[in-house]
Amino acid sequence: MVEKISFSINGQPREVEVDPEMMLIDVIREVLSLTGTKHGCDNATCGTCTVILNGKAVKSCNTPVKKASNGTLLTIEGLAKGKELHPIQKSIAESGAIQCGFCTPGIVMELYGLLESKPEASETEINNALNKHLCRCTGYEPIQDGALMAQKIIINRKNY
Amino acid sequence: MEYKYIGKSYIRPDAISKVTGKAIYLDDIRLPGMLHAAILHPEYAHAKIINIDTSQAELMPGVVKVVTGKNCNFHYGDNIKDLIPIAVDRVRHIGEPVAAVVADTVQNAQKAVEKIRVVYEPLPVYVDARDAIKKDSTLIHEENGDYWHLPTLNPQPGTNVANLYQLKKGKGSGGFEDADVVIEEEFLYPLGSCAAIETHGSIVWFKEDNTIEAWSSSICPFIIRDDLAHSYGIPVSQVRVHIPEIGGCFGYKSDITVEQTIAYIASFVPGYPVKWVASRAEDFTSTLLGHGIRTKMKIGAKKNGKLVAIKAEILHSGGAYADTSVNVTIAATHNCTGPYEFEHCDLTGLTVYTNTPPVGAFRGYGHQESQFATERMMELLARKLGMDSFTLREMNYLSEGKVNSLGETMWKLNGDIKACSDKVKDSVFSKDKLNEDENYFYGRGFAAVMKSPKGAPFSTKGCYIKMNIDGSVNINMGGAEVGQGLRTIVAQIAGEALKIAPEKIRVYTELDTQFSPYEWQTIGSMFTTQGGRAIIRAADKLILILKQTAAQVLKTDVDFLDYDGEFVFLKNDPSVRVSIEEIARGYITSDGITIGEVAQSVSDARLPRYSNPDKNGQGSMGVEYTFGAQAAEIRIEKKTGKIFVDHFTSVFDVGQVINPLQIRGSVLGGVTISVGATLYEKVEFDTEGKILNPQFFQYHIPTNKEAPKQTIEFIENPGSVGPFGARGIGEHPVIGPAPAILNAIYDAVGVDFFEIPVTPEKMKKALLEKQ
Ligand code: FES
Ligand code: FES
Repeated sequence: MVEKISFSINGQPREVEVDPEMMLIDVIREVLSLTGTKHGCDNATCGTCTVILNGKAVKSCNTPVKKASNGTLLTIEGLAKGKELHPIQKSIAESGAIQCGFCTPGIVMELYGLLESKPEASETEINNALNKHLCRCTGYEPIQDGALMAQKIIINRKNY
Repeated sequence: MEYKYIGKSYIRPDAISKVTGKAIYLDDIRLPGMLHAAILHPEYAHAKIINIDTSQAELMPGVVKVVTGKNCNFHYGDNIKDLIPIAVDRVRHIGEPVAAVVADTVQNAQKAVEKIRVVYEPLPVYVDARDAIKKDSTLIHEENGDYWHLPTLNPQPGTNVANLYQLKKGKGSGGFEDADVVIEEEFLYPLGSCAAIETHGSIVWFKEDNTIEAWSSSICPFIIRDDLAHSYGIPVSQVRVHIPEIGGCFGYKSDITVEQTIAYIASFVPGYPVKWVASRAEDFTSTLLGHGIRTKMKIGAKKNGKLVAIKAEILHSGGAYADTSVNVTIAATHNCTGPYEFEHCDLTGLTVYTNTPPVGAFRGYGHQESQFATERMMELLARKLGMDSFTLREMNYLSEGKVNSLGETMWKLNGDIKACSDKVKDSVFSKDKLNEDENYFYGRGFAAVMKSPKGAPFSTKGCYIKMNIDGSVNINMGGAEVGQGLRTIVAQIAGEALKIAPEKIRVYTELDTQFSPYEWQTIGSMFTTQGGRAIIRAADKLILILKQTAAQVLKTDVDFLDYDGEFVFLKNDPSVRVSIEEIARGYITSDGITIGEVAQSVSDARLPRYSNPDKNGQGSMGVEYTFGAQAAEIRIEKKTGKIFVDHFTSVFDVGQVINPLQIRGSVLGGVTISVGATLYEKVEFDTEGKILNPQFFQYHIPTNKEAPKQTIEFIENPGSVGPFGARGIGEHPVIGPAPAILNAIYDAVGVDFFEIPVTPEKMKKALLEKQ
């Protein structure tokens, strides 16, 4: 059965009429056509589908859309302000962390969830967050580099 | 040599679109009227199909068409036409398409496909080539030998051997007469999955005007184009194939695979684009697997360590169709010598039909599998000879003047393996080894490696350059960007060749056979070398056009002119000049008459004098080699048997580094993939041919915390084929990790392993047995 569910996504109010058990990823990709959020596995193991729900990084492939009801969603498309990239995006683009780029949106959102709420996160916390994501291309080192670069920018930004 | 743009870390042109989520991958494509396919896979890995009942499925909501292979009457393939788009009367592996549903949504298609009922008559299942080649084994293809195949292939009718490749150098096995010491062992590099994070998928659209348009997450649009045109009897020009961004390849999205299946399904609903994207499970069961190579190797040496003879049998479990595996076997066979010279070689490669999903390319293409054996054998031989293994290797490296198994002489241009080896030895083995402590054993292991592409006679890469009126440049090529970063490389090489800043060069994004210059396929670590050469050729032509126009404008001869990226000018008086802006579209004289050609050019490049094998299996079949050395520093946890790769070192002679950031990334990723193969990854089958671990939580690939810290260095002895001396590097880093880690295990605990992955259970068991 279909229900009306409202939320804000990337700063815009939206109302969808879907089965409340439908996974968030399918609403984001198929209903709202925001295809930046990726689908990489069948059982919530790869992390590519990560989005921000009410400030926290969640896997949209195992989160039913009803959990987003009246909530706030942020996807990779909502991170940049116009042409100005978010510090995490900028750092990840410059550190060599992007090869095929398929894991990138999920990783960027994971880091956003961590660093925006806890800019002083320890290296272990950053590594634990990255460990929830699979990347087959980069060997992870450039992603760690990018995360640390981003952290510096975010800390400096907050100090202003 | 000093370059302006080569050797610097430019940021990839696709970084911004990828980091903002705007890059379009296959599953992101939405087309008007698009329908979705779901595919039924069999319950048996080998069976006759007795009956398919689709009646219930046809009644399901949203269903547009149910498709079976009942009337499918064609085979396809690039090397052996043994592939079929959908099962006709028999299934040969567990991921084979048996029937399909086309529906309005993915969900409806999936629900309907479950309603299809099939009656099978099971046949014996062979997962391992050793079983499939037994004398009385059931034939997986009764037609073996009758299929069209490349003239260089040698199928064995009446058996499950899809191809037999033999190479003889010198006296072959007769060479062992000259040996004082002989060792013989058997090694296994089991079946694995490339496991790109983006699964494979395609969209195919049969149009009312009798053309076909397709999209695929593949690296070979031109092969797909040619093959579809052949299968459906239309001119090649009437098939248009697009390649969007690709979310990783590592081999298994090369050759033609799922595209023909989706095309077959779509051919039943002309006028509608049909999309299919593999689930993760289907990516394991219904695309290509990799590896599956068992190497029996015998090496003979003189007492002083001089290698004299090698005999190897490469037994490749090629899967249910051999089109994609035959060349892997061949590369594994002729390059199984690793970076060593043997005067006498007797090498045999058998590609065997088995009842697993077809096996195809996996980054490394046969090299990591057979050189896993060679590099373990070097340690075993050194031990037997009572020699230092570095000394043994150094005596035998394929250095300048040596001749490889194929009969190709190595030149200084091929790079310096000894220099790579020395660097690794110095940085890893010159310090003291860590002593065992309460919790851990420590060990170090080394491997020297080499790789050539496995080319084809027509394996060319095209390039089209056009210069615009402001002097900026657009470049179009057919190379597929899978993440390796070729677009950055194109901009840098073109910048250097045209003396124009890479920022002014716009590199192509998607591939489209309607517009892209011809390229065979983007494989074999060949893009930088061949594609780069094509860019330089096209740039030279373009500069000549500019000079020809300028010669008319400046009233002189072409050879008196020079070009600096902004002007064409007189060599003896640079003040006599004309700007690029004035001549890029031809020069408009004061009376409006235009002279000269538009500044645009086309070129291509292939490997020089690549040839087919001769009667001894030799020939100019490698052409370009990159050599390197790698080492692992590991720790084994006593309690659990868990192996940690704490540090991994790689040194390659790449001729010329084009982009330091990207080349480091290639090695980082390549090493990590093979650490996965060595410690975790193996596609497990039960005796009935079912895959037991087709999910990421079962088939574990390395995570952030498991990736080793790496030291990566490059030596630059320029080659002669690639641009500015650059050689291929994309695949090479995957070769050394397995032998280096297993050599390190021996160093740590004195236990020899001959198979990967070395899981904690296996390690623990070995430790207990040793006590
Ligand atoms: S799609 Fe893999 S974790 Fe969600
Ligand atoms: S960049 Fe390809 S999976 Fe991470």
